[in-house]
Amino acid sequence: MFDFTLTEESSATAPSGGLYDVIIIGGGPAGMTTAIYASRDGMKVLVLERESTGGLAATTERIENYPGFPDGVSGMELMERFRKQAERFGSEIVEFDEVASVEPVEKGLIKVHTAEGHVYEGKTVVVSTGSRPKKLGIPGEDEFYGRGVSYCATCDGPFFKNKNVVIVGAGNSGLQEGLQVLEYAKSVTFIEFLPYTRAEQILQDRVKASPKTTLLFNHRVAAIQGQQTVTGVVAVDRESGEEKLIPTDGVFIYVGYSPISQFVTDLVETNRWGYIVSDARMRTKTLGLYAVGDVRADNPAQLTVSVGNGTIAALDIRDFIRELNS
Amino acid sequence: MALLNNEIVQQVQQRLADLPDPVKLMVFTSPDHCDYCKEIVQLAEEVAATSDKLTAEVYDIRQAPEQAQALNITMAPVIAMVGAKDYGLRYYGIPSGHEFSTLLAGIERASYGKPDLDEQTKTYLASLSQPVTLQVFVTPTCPYCPRGAILAYDMAVASDKVVAEVVESMEFQDLAMQFNVMGVPLTVINGKERIEGAAPPPMVVDAIKKVLA
Ligand SMILES: Cc1cc2nc3c(=O)[nH]c(=O)nc-3n(C[C@H](O)[C@H](O)[C@H](O)COP(=O)(O)OP(=O)(O)OC[C@H]3O[C@@H](n4cnc5c(N)ncnc54)[C@H](O)[C@@H]3O)c2cc1C
Repeated sequence: MFDFTLTEESSATAPSGGLYDVIIIGGGPAGMTTAIYASRDGMKVLVLERESTGGLAATTERIENYPGFPDGVSGMELMERFRKQAERFGSEIVEFDEVASVEPVEKGLIKVHTAEGHVYEGKTVVVSTGSRPKKLGIPGEDEFYGRGVSYCATCDGPFFKNKNVVIVGAGNSGLQEGLQVLEYAKSVTFIEFLPYTRAEQILQDRVKASPKTTLLFNHRVAAIQGQQTVTGVVAVDRESGEEKLIPTDGVFIYVGYSPISQFVTDLVETNRWGYIVSDARMRTKTLGLYAVGDVRADNPAQLTVSVGNGTIAALDIRDFIRELNS
Repeated sequence: MALLNNEIVQQVQQRLADLPDPVKLMVFTSPDHCDYCKEIVQLAEEVAATSDKLTAEVYDIRQAPEQAQALNITMAPVIAMVGAKDYGLRYYGIPSGHEFSTLLAGIERASYGKPDLDEQTKTYLASLSQPVTLQVFVTPTCPYCPRGAILAYDMAVASDKVVAEVVESMEFQDLAMQFNVMGVPLTVINGKERIEGAAPPPMVVDAIKKVLA
């Protein structure tokens, strides 16, 4: 009934240092795939991750559309497998150290600076930092963070056994996580800004099939209320303007994501939402700097896309390094 | 049946191969309301078996009041990781899931006796004259939690005044409720100030200053 996950930790296994063929920033599916391909190809690979590896994919209980797992797989387990595969081919992984800036020095040399003050040197650098959950920006959201407001159902779900929960956002992530919460919560109310949901039909069907769910479309969440902890949310019917107080013990917010690209914005082109533009080979406008996965412009946020991007980047890096050496 | 599979055992062996100082895993169990005491003892013993620098000692908190008192332990189940000296590293509950990493990081800290912190934070912590207890609430499914927990361990190693108690929230629901914890990681300082999320060292330092002021 217990599982034990072992991730490495920076101080314990100091990276070998020296000049890396590729430094990968972010150990989610995109970064790990790049690492698997590049290290299997004999390259010297370093992955820098600010949390433990796994990325957003590790925060979901059930992934059903990743090929090869007909019965679905937990995100954590899948990402552990990615990691093991990367390590097997010699990728070095440093966790709990956040990249603060990237400094291109010359062709074939880019320095990467971390928040803890470490500096690493790579011939190429891959940005696979993904995205972070968006906030609603409403009263009560910050105040009750950790007191009923959460952005990670997998992390905090256990606190809401037999409780009433509101999920804000009825897209894929919201419905997916809501279905997990439904397994132990007393009730789940989904509140969606749009008059409809863009989520996959299969998720919609499952949510609707549960007697414990309520779906409110075309409603805006205006405030989160509480005393010591959350007691309710105020939702406004966007058509009638009617204000409703919905009593709840918890609010999980799944209203989209924003890219983590701030630390390289001077080196890359970004679209108007801050996603990094990279070409079909995953190259950005800075020589030797690549962008893959959720942080890349115009990508659907899906594992298979991240994995594909990582593959393409690693293959192009091989060519790039060959050219450097010749 | 073993809790740790062969693959994990091998990884642990590798990772703990070069531990400098011996570390005692002192497990305190309780005869009542302890759902996983058996498993915690087993886990500590399996981990201890991976390195000759590690030993596991098991105590019933009621029958070994001196040992518990010596470590200032009043709740069980808990694993205290004691190296060349007691740096104040505790894990309350069973360190499963992502939290297994926290346990290993704690063992490493206890053995090396060296924190992985920037100079400024170390200097501040070394200057502390009053006791500080960092309670970090976690759940095993939370990938962000080990970062918060390990930071607390680093701080405990950096100062004799700091004790770091990582608490598995579901096993210590009353304590979690006492602080209205409904999200993790969450750090409570001396039972007063709270920090939500995995905070960077300067933020924790500021919160400590606020509590001690
Ligand atoms: C709840 C939920 C359910 C989902 N379900 C599915 C599903 O069923 N199927 C599917 O295909 N997809 C699903 N997704 C989407 C999928 O998880 C993402 O598309 C995928 O994780 C993107 O991978 P990535 O590597 O680009 O980014 P991420 O997974 O976000 O990984 C980025 C990593 O970079 C790290 N990082 C960020 N900044 C820094 C920095 N400065 N320094 C160091 N490290 C940094 C982050 O900590 C993170 O670990 C789901 C997502 C969510 C949130």
